[in-house]
Amino acid sequence: MGLLRQKKQPAFKGSGLVIFADVQEALKAEKVLREGDYGVKLVAPPPALRKGCDLAIEMNLVEQFGIERLFREKDVAYIDIVPVDAASSVLLDVVKATDYGQWVMVKAANMKVVYDKATGVIVNTSGGGCPDIPYLHAQLVDKRLSEAPSPKEIGYTLCALMLHRALEECLLLWHRGEQS
Amino acid sequence: MMLLAGTFPDSDLPLTVAEVRVQDGSLVIDGRLLPCMQGTGAMMGAALAVTEYLKLDPPHAIVAGDIGQGKGSRAIYEYLIQNVKTLAPEVLVLHYWLPDMELTRRLCQAVDQCETRPVMVADAASMYSAKAAGMAPSFDIFTPDATEMAFLADPDATHPAYIARHLFDTDITQTPGLVETAYANRSAAKLLLVKGAIDYVVRNGEIVATIDDPDVPVLEAIGGTGDTITGLVSAFVYAGLEPHHAAIIAARANRMAGQFAAATPAHKIGHVIDQFPAVFGQYLCQWSGVCCTGTEGEHDD
Repeated sequence: MGLLRQKKQPAFKGSGLVIFADVQEALKAEKVLREGDYGVKLVAPPPALRKGCDLAIEMNLVEQFGIERLFREKDVAYIDIVPVDAASSVLLDVVKATDYGQWVMVKAANMKVVYDKATGVIVNTSGGGCPDIPYLHAQLVDKRLSEAPSPKEIGYTLCALMLHRALEECLLLWHRGEQS
Repeated sequence: MMLLAGTFPDSDLPLTVAEVRVQDGSLVIDGRLLPCMQGTGAMMGAALAVTEYLKLDPPHAIVAGDIGQGKGSRAIYEYLIQNVKTLAPEVLVLHYWLPDMELTRRLCQAVDQCETRPVMVADAASMYSAKAAGMAPSFDIFTPDATEMAFLADPDATHPAYIARHLFDTDITQTPGLVETAYANRSAAKLLLVKGAIDYVVRNGEIVATIDDPDVPVLEAIGGTGDTITGLVSAFVYAGLEPHHAAIIAARANRMAGQFAAATPAHKIGHVIDQFPAVFGQYLCQWSGVCCTGTEGEHDD
């Protein structure tokens, strides 16, 4: 068993925050904005606006008008767009992988995905504590990495988002293993 | 009464409050069969393994279906807020649900109105919301893993997805420093059972025990092995053990069940839960003085 690698994603720094009622709407908005070629980053809302499982989008405030129009066109519901609060937090951007011989476990924050190196089949997911995690466990386990549903598409919470990041890294490692 | 609260990933499951039993490896709550899978199910399965072995009253469950949208979670919060005083549980275990700081604060206020305060246990997102809401000192037991310990030590994080990178980069051997920080920030329960390659039992900021034997590293890869520890420690407290003693035995029993199961990362949590009766039969009396004799369970802690 050993540590394989760590990964850091490129940083984006914006000047405004889009606030949403729930994580699922924030994830939908992120997808819409990325498809629209906007530079964005998922972050925590300011402390005063947090409930416990929240997500906001950091964006460039100068792009507010275009973003608002895109949200209207794509039917994205948001609460407000506000200047960045210095106290807003950034999502953890590190993943770790552990080699168990026949299996690899990839961890993103509190979430883990384990797959079989020979078959690419997900054999376990673990960690987390939000209510969609047991649901995602049932949806992902025993499926091939390439055929598993996206936690970002069918989940609702920050735990699901971290599980998605772990799954993305599993796919990278799996494809790299296939090519070597 | 031991009261276990949490969500199940079944959108059709209404808010249900009933005794929980186990039948052919599944949970039975108000006539419904629910799986002993990762999450609330694994926690309940482990707690039932203890209560059945010791012939204690079965736990009561408050459950609701929720796949992440929060409706079932809020139903559980609200039911507990309205009824915890009447239910008067001796042990109250909060597990998977959508973290909500305001509802957690209201629940803690409701618990304060109980004539006899229950032993309060939180794991999973219930622990996240307790810490984020600043209510951690109101809880008796948290059962974090190493990453969640870093979350408790990070004063700004309201969810483990937001912990500072330097804290995420620490390993289980850094737990003592994280524990010190978490207690200084009033972000820890009275007792912590930190799960990892080394399990740490911490009482009011002092590490009172470490457990690293047997060493079964694959347990981290199996979904639900942290949930079973929560169920075990809660049920051992309900059986009458002091929380730190219950935590030590829970950590040992979970590891031993993994060894009995010859666990691999591909095993499912039910396979580990199935081992608990054999583990208790072989070790519980030796570890705890909780010795079953015939049909009567007794303990002398």
